[in-house]
Amino acid sequence: MLRIENLCFRYRKRDAFVLRGISLELEAGEIGVILGKNGSGKTTLFKTILGILSPEKGTLKYDGADLTKMRSKERARRIAYVPQDIRFGALSVMDCVLLGRISYFGLRAGPEDYAAAERVLRDMGLEAFARRNAEELSGGERQKIAIARALIQEPGLMIFDEPTGNLDIANEQLILEEAGRLAGEKHIGILCSLHDLNEAFAFGDRFFFIKDGFVKYAVEKEEIREEMINDTFDTCVRIVEVEGRKIVLKSV
Amino acid sequence: METVEKMGMQERRQIHNKHNEHKRELTILALLAAAVLALAFCCLFAGSSHMSFGDCLNALLGKSTAANNRILWNIRIPRVLAALIAGAGLSVSGLIMQTNLNNPMASPSTLGVSNAAVFGANLSIIAFSGGFLSTGNNPANYGTGANPYSTSLMAFGFSLLSILLILALCRLRAFSPGVVVLAGIAVGSVWTAATTVLQFYATDVGLSAAVIWNFGDLGRATYRTDLLMLAAVVCGLVFFQLMSWKYNALLGGDGAAKSMGVSVERLRFCSLLLASVITAVCVSFLGIIGFVGIICPHVTKKLLGQDHRFGIPAASLAGSLLLLLADTLSRSMGNGSALPVGAITSLLGAPFFLAVIFSGKSD
Repeated sequence: MLRIENLCFRYRKRDAFVLRGISLELEAGEIGVILGKNGSGKTTLFKTILGILSPEKGTLKYDGADLTKMRSKERARRIAYVPQDIRFGALSVMDCVLLGRISYFGLRAGPEDYAAAERVLRDMGLEAFARRNAEELSGGERQKIAIARALIQEPGLMIFDEPTGNLDIANEQLILEEAGRLAGEKHIGILCSLHDLNEAFAFGDRFFFIKDGFVKYAVEKEEIREEMINDTFDTCVRIVEVEGRKIVLKSV
Repeated sequence: METVEKMGMQERRQIHNKHNEHKRELTILALLAAAVLALAFCCLFAGSSHMSFGDCLNALLGKSTAANNRILWNIRIPRVLAALIAGAGLSVSGLIMQTNLNNPMASPSTLGVSNAAVFGANLSIIAFSGGFLSTGNNPANYGTGANPYSTSLMAFGFSLLSILLILALCRLRAFSPGVVVLAGIAVGSVWTAATTVLQFYATDVGLSAAVIWNFGDLGRATYRTDLLMLAAVVCGLVFFQLMSWKYNALLGGDGAAKSMGVSVERLRFCSLLLASVITAVCVSFLGIIGFVGIICPHVTKKLLGQDHRFGIPAASLAGSLLLLLADTLSRSMGNGSALPVGAITSLLGAPFFLAVIFSGKSD
């Protein structure tokens, strides 16, 4: 579904490359997790896939179509984004969710857009919030609204940038379960970045370790090794298996 | 989405209507519109000529003395229309600037429009009639300098130059909001410096004429200038209203808006250009009228939230209301001569603005 080859990006011509040849592939319904140190280019990679930033070279394809040549409206119907820093402005939850339909309605939301928004709000258990001011809601609720807004774009791929960054443990689980459900039931591909490695290993199907601007390791869950983590993060951790799950132990 | 597809049209309409009631917003808009209409009507009865209520009413129907008819139809009505149009234009331009630049302090003049207009007008006044210290007054050119259109045209020309210069510069940085604001401040300060130099070399007559132009005055309005301002403001309002969902998307940040399919750079370019042109037209004809573009959008945001579908008409109405009120006060308080309306908008608006900001719960 998503195929990236040799993707290069830098913010200015005289700067060093942030992405120095990223290559990765992700299939529909698969959960890909990008792992890397702070500043390794995870958010830059997401923004390049989303067309927020333009790559200097490389291939960026979605179902064979070139994403770099696609109009923003066309791209929005294929790829949706749940950013790290979620802001809405003083709008009602219903209006925030409806914004996800802009690529369909253009200038004015119609009855089918409202019907779609109501359905998504009901699915996400947010129906009671429809008229509330989104700015007054908690971090977890806002995260869910952002997911609802992304979902209503009817995308084939959803990008989550640090979805659990500001959440407590209960909301963390809730959001990841919701994302997992989308991948399973709706067959939506998910690409996300997560800081907590244990959370990442429990949630993802494929893992892309980014270092020095390219994907150093692209592995399935079973193939994860301690060396990969230690090399990517310049750290020294151990992996132990507890009840069949891989758990990362930090060395103190 | 399958369920949505199975849903009947009637059911979809019901959902649409349920979420689209917006009673509170529509009530506030209706109240604002009623207040604007009522005040516009009342303003026709205020002025320095001490016409009685009956005289005004008769003049409105064209049945009073020729002098009274002229005062009402040639002075008061164009002036009230100017307040309605320029108030709406400046206020909505402020709102659009604030949204597009993601900056609550942005104003209609953020792109240095007013500073450029002041320079253009001062150049016209001083060079064509007031004269420079070295040459003295220039009565031969007085006809050109006294022609209000030449001054307005110079003001507008320099405003447009400033807008295009800043937008061209900002294109290099993909219209990043921070860059636009800073470029506006920098270019604006160049125009201000140039105006200071110009005024330094002006004769006392030229200087006083130039300074008086800088005070905003709705008394300069004629039907023709009103029509030109109306054309700019209506074009802007229609465009802004059509883009209201996209402005709502911008509230979530550029990245989120782009990911939803909004062409942020194009939207920002068109919006900044239109908002600045509206400001340039108003300022060129009427002089500097400050603060309307900051106060009114903030007050309406407090009242209605940030939904641009209602924010745009509400800010326009609030702008008209404030400018009407300020102009009426300026005419009534000046003891025969109107006080600068720009000073009154600030004097009147700032305390109200502070009260709105500090009222309610803290953010």
